Amino acid sequence: MFLELAKRNLQRAKVRSLLAVVGILIGVMAVSAIGIFGESLKAAVVQNFEEVANELIVSPNFQEGYKYIEEKDINRIKKLPNVAEAIAIKSDSLLIESKKKKSYAMVYAMDEKDVEEMFEAEKGAIRLKNSCVVGKRLAEFVEIRVKSKITVGGKEFRVAAILEDAGARFDINPNSAVILSPEDFEKVSDVGYTMLIVKAESLEKVDDVKREIEEKINSRDEKVVVFDLKLILERINEVFSQINTFLMAIASVSLLVAGVSILNIMLMSTIERTKEIGVMRAIGAYRSTILKIFLMEALVLGLIGSGIGSVLSIAGGYVIDLIILQDASYVFQLSTILYVILGFCIGIFVSVVSGLYPAWKASRLEPIEALRYE
Amino acid sequence: MKVVELRNVYKIYRTKYYEVRALDGISMDVEDGEFVVIMGPSGSGKSTLLNLMGCLDKPSEGEVLINGVETSNLNDNQLTELRRDTIGFIFQTYNLIPTLTALENVELPMIFKGFGREEREERAKELLRSVGLEREMNRKPNEMSGGQQQRVAIARALANNPKILLCDEPTGNLDTKSGGQVMEIIKHQNEELGVTVILVTHDSSLAKYGDRVIRLRDGKIESVEHVS
Repeated sequence: MFLELAKRNLQRAKVRSLLAVVGILIGVMAVSAIGIFGESLKAAVVQNFEEVANELIVSPNFQEGYKYIEEKDINRIKKLPNVAEAIAIKSDSLLIESKKKKSYAMVYAMDEKDVEEMFEAEKGAIRLKNSCVVGKRLAEFVEIRVKSKITVGGKEFRVAAILEDAGARFDINPNSAVILSPEDFEKVSDVGYTMLIVKAESLEKVDDVKREIEEKINSRDEKVVVFDLKLILERINEVFSQINTFLMAIASVSLLVAGVSILNIMLMSTIERTKEIGVMRAIGAYRSTILKIFLMEALVLGLIGSGIGSVLSIAGGYVIDLIILQDASYVFQLSTILYVILGFCIGIFVSVVSGLYPAWKASRLEPIEALRYE
Repeated sequence: MKVVELRNVYKIYRTKYYEVRALDGISMDVEDGEFVVIMGPSGSGKSTLLNLMGCLDKPSEGEVLINGVETSNLNDNQLTELRRDTIGFIFQTYNLIPTLTALENVELPMIFKGFGREEREERAKELLRSVGLEREMNRKPNEMSGGQQQRVAIARALANNPKILLCDEPTGNLDTKSGGQVMEIIKHQNEELGVTVILVTHDSSLAKYGDRVIRLRDGKIESVEHVS
C-alpha cells in the first residue's frame, strides 16, 4: 500500500518526478559508463600483457658471486611442477662487423624454435643453422640486409632474417642484438647461461613456480634471482583501478547534483502535503510511518532512475568503448557489469539519503500544526 | 463511565508581546454514549478544545483523560495509538487523501493498525455501504461531491471502531440536504452503535442532535444545556 501511495504521489507531480528521475538517470549513467570504460581500458591493456604475465625471469645472483646459471639448475627447474616451458639463454657483448660498420652488440644464444616462438621475422626466415638473425635497429645501424654476411666475435655468419621491432620487453630485447644457435654461440663466446625464461602453466601458478624455484635452487645459497612479470601486471591493475576510481568520483558529482534535486523536490512535496501528513497523523500514523511513506517515494525515484540509467550506461559504455578502444567486447565482461551494479546501488543510495532529510522533516511535523496548514 | 475528562484545562498561546487564553480553566466530562454539541462564536476556543480531546494538542495546564487514561504522560507513539484505536475524526474540510480512492481512504486507519488486506477491504466496503456510497468506492475525492466526501470521511473515522467521534464543523462546507444526511449518519452511530459524539459547530440548528449543548465564550464555559 505504501508503495502504491508513493507511486501515486509521484504521479501527482509528474514533471517534477520525471526531472528527478532524469537527474538520477544521468548520474548513474555517468558513473557506470565511465566505470565500464575504465574497466575496458584496463582489460585492453592487461590483455596485451597477459601473454608474458605468466613468465618468470631467472637470473644469476651477481651480488652473491654467481655470474651464470648452472646447467644442472636449469634442468631441475625444467622438471618442476607447473612449469610449461623454460628457455635458457646465454648472452655476451661481442663485436659485430659488417662491410661498412662495426659495433659492439648483445649476442644471444637460443634454440631456433624458441626464437620462432618469441619473435617474428620482418624480412627473411628464422634459420640459425650456420646463420644468424639480427634485430631491426642493429641491422639498420650496421647497414645489413638479409643474406648479407656479418662477423660476430670474429666468425662470419649469414643473416637469415631481420626481426620485427619487438617493442618494449621485460625478458630479452632483440632489437639491437644478434641471435645465434647455442652451437654457433659456443664458437664465439665461452660464457654460461645468463638468463632463464620460465613459463608457468597459468597465471595462477606463477607464485607456486616462483616459490618452488627459490626453495629448490636457493636452498643453500642465493644462487639465482627470480623476477615475475605478474608483478608488473598487478601494478598496471592497481594504477588503472586508481584512475577508474578517480574518473568515477568525477562522474559522481552529477549524482550528487541529482541527489540535491531529489532533496529539493521532496522538500517541496513535504511542504505541499503538510496537511495530508497532519491528517495521517491524526488518524493513527506513527512518525515512523510518515518517514517510511516519504522514504518509499525517494526509493521509487531512485529505483526508476537507477534502473533506466544502468541500462543506458551499458549502451553508453558500448559507444565509448567503440569510439576510444575500437572494441566493444569488453563491455560484456563480468568485471564491467559489476560497475553497472555498482552504479545502480550508488543511485539508489543517493536517492534514499537525499530523501532522508525531507522524510525526517515530514515525520517531525506536529499533527495539530500540520492540520492547520493551508 | 466517563470517556472524556477535562480538569482545569488551560491553553495559552504566548508571543513576545501578548498572550491569548484560548482555553481558560475548562473542566468538563463526557459520558460514554453521549452526544455533546459544543457551540460558540469564532475564537471561543471550541476547536482548541476538540483538538485537546483528540490528543492532537497538549494543554498548557490541567489534565485531559481519554477513556480513563491521563494523556499528558503519554509519548508520541502512545498518543498516536490512542487516536488510532479510540478516536475518530471528522473535519470540516473532509481531509481525505487526494491520491487514494474512497475505499483506500477508509482502509488507511486499518493499514496503520496493521489489518490484513482482505479484512480491511471487507470492512471498508461495509462502512462505505453503510454511508450509502457502495457505487463510489473506487472514486477519488475530486470525483465526488462535498457530501459524498464527508460521508467517506465518516466511514474512515469509524474504520477502527472508535469509542469517540470528534466532529469539527462536519456540515460547515455542505448544503442543507447533504448536511442533513451527514448528521443523520452521525446520529445513527450514536444512537444505534453507542459511539460517543462530540461535535463542534457554530450552526445552532445542529444543537437539536445533542444530548447536551455546551456553549463557550472566550475560552470559558458559558452555559451547559441538557436537551431532552
